Amino acid sequence: MLRFLLRRLMWFAITLFCVVTISFFMMRSVRGGPFDGERALDPAIERNIKARYHLDWSLPKQYFQYIGPLNLDEHRAELFGGDGAKPFGGVLTLEFGPSFKYKDFTVDQIISQSLPISALLGMVAMMWALALGVSAGIASALKRGSRLDLAMRIAATGGIALPNFVIAGFLIIFFVFMLPLLPVAGWGSVKHMLLPGFALGAPYAAYIARLTRTGMLEVLSQDHIRTAHAKGLAPKTVIMRHALKGGLLPVVSYLGPAIAGVLTGSLVIEKIFKIPGLGTHFINSALNRDYTLAMGVTILFTVLIYSMNMIVDLAYTMLDPRIDLEDM
Amino acid sequence: MSTPLLEVKDLHKHFPIGSVGFSGKPKQLLHAVDGVSFSLERGETLGLVGESGCGKSTAARAIVGLHPATSGSIKFEGHELAGGSTRDWMPYRRRMQMIFQDPYASLDPRQTVGSILTEPLKIHGMGRPSWRKTRTMELLEAVGLNPRHIHRYPHEFSGGQRQRIGIARALALEPDLIICDEPVSALDVSIQAQVINLLEELQERFNLAYLFIAHDLAVVRHICKRVAVMYLGRIVEIADRDDLFADPQHPYTRSLLSAIPHPDPIRERNRERIVLQGDVPSPLNPPSGCSFHPRCPEIDGVPGDSCKTIVPILQKLSETETRQASCHLTCPR
Amino acid sequence: MASPKDSRWQFGSGNMERLLSEVAAHKGESLWQDAWRRLRRNRAAFYSLVFLILFGVTSYLAPLLPIASPMALTLQEEPQPPSWPWDNTNLETSPGARATGTVGSVLNNGWRHRSVVMFTSEGGVLDSVEAELSEMVEEVSGRTTAVNRIEAKAGKPAQLFFAIPNRRDDTPRTDWADTGNTGEVTFLRAEDKAWLVLDLPIDETLFNSWSTVVSGYDGSIYFGTEAGDDAGIRFRFRLSERFAGTVVGLTLNGRALSADGSINDLELAEPVIAPLEWDGAEKEGDTPEVPAALASIADAPIEEPTADILAKFGKDEFLLLRGSELEEDTRVVVQSGASDRTLFVRTRVDAFEQQGTFHNDLKRQIGTALQGLSLSDGATASLLDVEIENGYWELGTIDQAMLSARAAMFGLWQTGNWMGTDSKGRDIFARIVWGSRTSLLVALIATLCSLIIGVTYGAFSGYIGGKTDNAMMRFVDILYSLPFIFVVIFLITLMNEYKVELEDNFGVEREQVFYLVIGAIYWLTMARVVRGQVLSLKNSEFIEAAKVLGASTPRILFVHLVPNVLSIVIVYLTLTIPAVMLFEAFLSFLGLGIEPPKVSWGTLAVDGTEAINPLKIFWWLVFFPAMAMGSTLLALNILGDGLRDALDPKLRGKD
Repeated sequence: MLRFLLRRLMWFAITLFCVVTISFFMMRSVRGGPFDGERALDPAIERNIKARYHLDWSLPKQYFQYIGPLNLDEHRAELFGGDGAKPFGGVLTLEFGPSFKYKDFTVDQIISQSLPISALLGMVAMMWALALGVSAGIASALKRGSRLDLAMRIAATGGIALPNFVIAGFLIIFFVFMLPLLPVAGWGSVKHMLLPGFALGAPYAAYIARLTRTGMLEVLSQDHIRTAHAKGLAPKTVIMRHALKGGLLPVVSYLGPAIAGVLTGSLVIEKIFKIPGLGTHFINSALNRDYTLAMGVTILFTVLIYSMNMIVDLAYTMLDPRIDLEDM
Repeated sequence: MSTPLLEVKDLHKHFPIGSVGFSGKPKQLLHAVDGVSFSLERGETLGLVGESGCGKSTAARAIVGLHPATSGSIKFEGHELAGGSTRDWMPYRRRMQMIFQDPYASLDPRQTVGSILTEPLKIHGMGRPSWRKTRTMELLEAVGLNPRHIHRYPHEFSGGQRQRIGIARALALEPDLIICDEPVSALDVSIQAQVINLLEELQERFNLAYLFIAHDLAVVRHICKRVAVMYLGRIVEIADRDDLFADPQHPYTRSLLSAIPHPDPIRERNRERIVLQGDVPSPLNPPSGCSFHPRCPEIDGVPGDSCKTIVPILQKLSETETRQASCHLTCPR
Repeated sequence: MASPKDSRWQFGSGNMERLLSEVAAHKGESLWQDAWRRLRRNRAAFYSLVFLILFGVTSYLAPLLPIASPMALTLQEEPQPPSWPWDNTNLETSPGARATGTVGSVLNNGWRHRSVVMFTSEGGVLDSVEAELSEMVEEVSGRTTAVNRIEAKAGKPAQLFFAIPNRRDDTPRTDWADTGNTGEVTFLRAEDKAWLVLDLPIDETLFNSWSTVVSGYDGSIYFGTEAGDDAGIRFRFRLSERFAGTVVGLTLNGRALSADGSINDLELAEPVIAPLEWDGAEKEGDTPEVPAALASIADAPIEEPTADILAKFGKDEFLLLRGSELEEDTRVVVQSGASDRTLFVRTRVDAFEQQGTFHNDLKRQIGTALQGLSLSDGATASLLDVEIENGYWELGTIDQAMLSARAAMFGLWQTGNWMGTDSKGRDIFARIVWGSRTSLLVALIATLCSLIIGVTYGAFSGYIGGKTDNAMMRFVDILYSLPFIFVVIFLITLMNEYKVELEDNFGVEREQVFYLVIGAIYWLTMARVVRGQVLSLKNSEFIEAAKVLGASTPRILFVHLVPNVLSIVIVYLTLTIPAVMLFEAFLSFLGLGIEPPKVSWGTLAVDGTEAINPLKIFWWLVFFPAMAMGSTLLALNILGDGLRDALDPKLRGKD
């Protein structure tokens, strides 16, 4: 167990290092700098800006400044001849540097403002997905072959096949304009979260419904369920206490990819509903050449998705004793 | 004495297990075959028996060159094959063929029976295409299948029929020796008899030699003239069939034979059974000395601890006998 | 070779020849046939397959169908609101009403934006005015045009829009004839920075061409123009610093050409070297378009059109023409050795074929032509403007052939806007059909990329095995754990910086890189699947049997392994295609995918969601693209599931 974790962490460190290094050098070698606007800047101003972002340093020095953990500018540790005001810095100390476009903010500030919004949106989406998916899946497994089952299955395949921004479009048309119940965009109250959460969670709800249905059908046909019925247990008890546990196993293993998908899917949903989350910032930063912010978000998501996968792998072994961590 | 058709001497096959360390040496070696020697004459059938995992199949695969042998010699009519390149092997592929255990896995599911049987002819450039086609049909007929079925696919045949196709494929190259790796163990008992009869019939017709690997002693007793018993990568006893079944020498052979049920219920009830203690030791870490000693019921018969320290050698019981065994009990030093 | 090798192998049954004729009746059913039979029996999957085939054929035959153009072709100056044809029976949106506008563009060899010429007309019968103007415009531009007109409304005169389609090989210049005139340039020593004033007695129609002629000289000569008196025009040159002390004057000798090929005698005033007295701020000249149209003589062409042409004057050397401004047709020769004071430079522009219309010059040409045109019934028409819309959508030869076939079959007839129009007046149905081409193409190419990379990688890794396999799979694991969408967006934005270079130097367009990038993501799963399959097959008994028979490695790979891996690859492919299409839509939505004027389902969905507003619900903008996309993806998913069941050997014989 510990060995597995350590090995995973090692690979994680290697992956992250590669991501950071490659993207750092790619973004520095790319021609259009963040300050190449339409208008040529006054040389003095340009010099000042470059000095502020340390763009006048040599590339390796910039790299080490970015990676950390030692701060290399004039506030570096007294040991190295600085004034010691800020001896450490860089990615290793969880500092991603100043944003190139939002001039008064550091990347950390932007992330700390927007991450809770994205996380909340993701949670709402997962709640929608789980609530709708599991209940629809159970209902259609119990009423197998009925019209309800058919309708659920059609809805599920539709949910998988349609991209979430199209679903979002339909939702806006129905719930904002035809039935003016919910606000069209923005962020703040519960009302704001319902539509984007649903649009984001819908494909996953569909998939979860499918998984639940298959899983439940498989479990319901097994002997121990029949025994439970034969013992005279109430159907409700049988389903809630015996069948559900086995039937939901595939759903649990799907949660990892689903969370990763919800995180990335929020790029589009945040854009449609104008939610100031991480995804919006990432798109803006990529389009505005705000490379520090883009890298910060990329690194953050690498960490998030990697840890999600690791947790899911661990959960696998907890749920299914047949899988050996050493093999993974 | 003429050269035997196949002569195997001190064949070893070791598999590295686990990841390879920095020194380039594998962590552990699995001694699948650990010094097997025997010889086989033309038209003869040698049975190779033993429980699963004792290295029978590995030995067979090493002999046909599927796994290169770690050490030892494999001589076919006096030609050394061990360590030879693919090129060196080519002429002997025509002489030595193999029948596999699982008739469902040993035929390519996406090829017709015709192309399965033509493939060996094509590889070895035998005949013209039109001849190959009729030849294929003749082969099918020879193994008792309807020659009209050459355009069918393996999945359209039953297990026994598939095994017949496997046999026909081996026959296509007109070999002198066929290595049968448990050819009937995956089949129903009634089909087993048919396939074994076919094998015997073919042996007679084409003067084939068989190396017949099985764990079913009854089958071996039926088809083989001589039988070799393997335990943990080594041959513990080789003898003519009748001798072996009448008077087994090695304690392991004795325990094996005692497990054969007898058709007569009374004798069956009174049959003495030797039940071995413990499990088969891991071939990763074979016991020292005689590899059978931890389970040997007759270890007390040998004075001292030579069973635990000295590896017994497979040798004739006496100058006049053909039986060979490797036990300190039968051939004390 | 003698075979069989001895008599015991002589089976000698002669009746095989007779049986040979019978075997054909005993044909077996291969696993492919079996899978096909079971797929056909699976109704949902089979109908999905039929749907997909029909859909694919439709989208491939899009140029042949008499549907509206997917590009902006209503030719109105302002975007119309999206319209839904079944709301009211508006003649304008009924079938055929806009046919001319579409077909005119369709008939040219590519979808692209065009130059729109706008006229107003007062009085007279509009049909005849339209015909006359159309004839004139087509004559000037040299190609078929599309017409749209807005009838006169209260107080507003009628408007006529002519669309002149651009071709990719259009060159931004006029057709200069070779008339053998020479121009001489004389450089005189200048004492200091100075203004050089030239008064040229040319009329206004020559203004454009002359300004370019002069500006073509050297980018370092700034010049400004001043409105002279009626007789001519005055150029003022400010000599740049590098000319200080070397050049004092410039004369133009002889005659020069006007755009329409007529020859104008030029009287060049004596160069006046005036003191620096330019009133306004310095103005940079128009970008030099025609660098060397001064004069023409037949002479040896320049070897390297990119080389700068330098002139030596005494010990000073200065730039006459920048290589980058030269076209391949330009020839420059220094005719005589420079005297102490004078250097003659003769340049020549070959007359080249009329390849296209100089759209910057189109306004002047049409304006000139309009002056000489008398319209019937005393109608008057005046030129409003010429607008150039950029962008190009190149069609291949087959598509062009289909377009011609369409014109031959249907003429100008086309369907109406059954599914409504979007905010630029474009037909939704046509856009869906043409968008499906892009989306399917993206999906197919990207899937093919993933197929090639994934199968090669996975098969290699699985077949080699051991340490190599371990390392290769570890690499895949690392890539798996990356947040790919972020990396891809990052990559695409970085690549956008180099878009122009890629296109110019390597002929690689963004879309092609885009296909590759998508394909490069989806190979991971493919590699894993193939590797697993190869690993399990590699040790299977039929491979061992082939080895015992002496089969070579290529034979084992291609005869035994590949056909057996193929089925799972096919299944995975059908499931990758919808994923790729979704991803394309996703990226297009973020503005990183397909670029206008091309259209894909992703861009359609974007247009749809962008058109959502509280005032009026343009539901058809969302609904129809979503239906097209949803049904295709659904069909692909169902087909993929069906194929998985059909190709699964375990399910053989069951239904």
